[in-house]
Amino acid sequence: MSRPFLCERLMPVVGILVALVFSPIVHAADAGRAQEQAQRQQTQPGNNAPMWRDVRGGVKQTTQVRGVETNVLMQPSGQSWREVRPPMSLAGGLLIAAALLALFAFYQWRGPIGVHEAGTGKLIKRFSDAERLTHWTVAISVCILAVTGLILSFGKYMLLPIIGYTLFSWLAMFAKNLHNFVAPVFFFMLPVMIVLFVRDNLPGPGDLKWLLTFGGMFSKSGHETPSGRFNMGEKALFWFMVCALGVVLCLSGAVMLFPNFDQGRQIMQSANIVHVISALVMIFAASFHIYLGTVGQRGAYEGMRTGYVDETWAKEHHQLWYDQVKAGHARQHFADDAPDAVRAQVADGLKA
Amino acid sequence: MARMKFLCDAERCIECNGCVTACKSEHDIPWGVNRRRVVTLNDGVPGEKSISVACMHCSDAPCMAVCPVDCFYQTSEGIVLHDKDLCIGCGYCFYACPFGAPQFPQDGAFGLRGKMDKCTFCAGGPEADNSEAEYKKYGRNRLAEGKLPACAEMCSTKALLGGDADVISDIYRNRVMKRGKGSEVWGWGTAYGKPDAKPATPPGAKS
Ligand code: HEM
Ligand code: SF4
Ligand code: SF4
Repeated sequence: MSRPFLCERLMPVVGILVALVFSPIVHAADAGRAQEQAQRQQTQPGNNAPMWRDVRGGVKQTTQVRGVETNVLMQPSGQSWREVRPPMSLAGGLLIAAALLALFAFYQWRGPIGVHEAGTGKLIKRFSDAERLTHWTVAISVCILAVTGLILSFGKYMLLPIIGYTLFSWLAMFAKNLHNFVAPVFFFMLPVMIVLFVRDNLPGPGDLKWLLTFGGMFSKSGHETPSGRFNMGEKALFWFMVCALGVVLCLSGAVMLFPNFDQGRQIMQSANIVHVISALVMIFAASFHIYLGTVGQRGAYEGMRTGYVDETWAKEHHQLWYDQVKAGHARQHFADDAPDAVRAQVADGLKA
Repeated sequence: MARMKFLCDAERCIECNGCVTACKSEHDIPWGVNRRRVVTLNDGVPGEKSISVACMHCSDAPCMAVCPVDCFYQTSEGIVLHDKDLCIGCGYCFYACPFGAPQFPQDGAFGLRGKMDKCTFCAGGPEADNSEAEYKKYGRNRLAEGKLPACAEMCSTKALLGGDADVISDIYRNRVMKRGKGSEVWGWGTAYGKPDAKPATPPGAKS
């Protein structure tokens, strides 16, 4: 791919992001053909072509009615938005469906990834309370945002025919309000999550090898490729899902959430498109994370639930990190003071 | 079957905003919502024109296509109406509409949108014709009373026409013929030359 071509491809994306940030500035670009129209009246009285061209182009004019863009007679971009949104949502929906199918197939073939040796009962405190609180706040809010968002995107086609207009309208209203009020939770916890987790998600030894072998996930008997506290897959999800998509979702969502900042329709249409694409890709990516964090791997869920993991789990899944903990070089330590209830839970999580 | 449409004659509209006022008072529309508005094009420049605009009751209506709860319906006369009981106030119809017709009364903090409101062609909503509930949500149902939209009836210059498409386009066609040149309809000058080139049939001549 040549560089000019790449630039050309990236320009609209950059444009949308810049527009999102500087939305009031775009108004200044509305010039118009007023002078051309005046001149045309001299040479061809009654020929209003320049004026109608302005109307088709959505140029700002004059009106006595107050409000956002009430002075625009016609906006041409609404039609493009209307045409772009359904195929885009459909593509995203198919992507998510494909992910779920692939995970189901993977589960059938591989089953839950377990540990090769029995747990020793020696625990490591893998996640601090702050980390767990942040993780679960973000995780639960993303789940709520995803389900409520999907109701707005696909409910009309998938739920409305089944449950009828009245019930679906009620559900959609509930979903919209829940989406709008959970969004700020996500908005404020996202930076906290980035700050807390960025350190152990920086590139480190073993990343490349993990990536090339895909962590050894596709070999049924084999051992996992050694990794630090977080493996390359987790790091990729952190950078892509949390830092990129999460931030984009917050920004594009906020543009739609607060229509009272006088932003025009074009900016909200772009925000919607950006939001839908990033939301669907986010749900796609999250399904892999949720799979491995729950049914896909023994001991992972209990780790985040309680904050503790068994040393066997650590050795198996994050060997480099385990070595560091053992040598006392990691910020995480062996926890001999873990309560009995937690010990039982962690031991239970590792059982086949 | 009639197909109801609006037509605004840019050569006649004098920006008196009578239609806007007529609409507001007829339907007792809340503050901050204007179902109709007048836009002046090239205000203050020679040849300025004004146009009154509200919901145009599109044939392939974008609002209807994007509504996530599918609350729009089109009457047998082509009028696009919606059900406020179903509307969730997402604003998508406002994004899609070319004419800025859907309006939102602000509802509480954060600029949360209330139920969408728009021009009904004075045809009310899904409730029983001329019922109290219908009036409260959508305004008067003049069509059920055998009347045409209040804005067009009130228009002082009869620039704004509302009614059966066949009838109003005949009126407009006659106007264009009477004005003689026809070049004031947009694009004609460009397509058919300057008006000083004599038209093939002189205006008003019997053919
Ligand atoms: C992981 C996080 C999120 C996911 C998965 C998500 C998902 C979605 C989806 C699928 C839609 C429907 C889009 C459509 O069909 O047009 C939507 C709409 C929307 N989202 Fe999000 N979203 C997320 C976060 C946010 C955030 C952080 C905000 C605000 C700051 C936000 C605000 C909105 C708004 C305002 C809408 C338009 C519909 C409405 O008014 O309710 N979203 N979201
Ligand atoms: S609201 Fe807008 S899109 Fe819908 S019918 Fe009226 S003019 Fe057309
Ligand atoms: S605001 Fe109401 S009428 Fe408009 S698209 Fe949303 S639900 Fe439909």
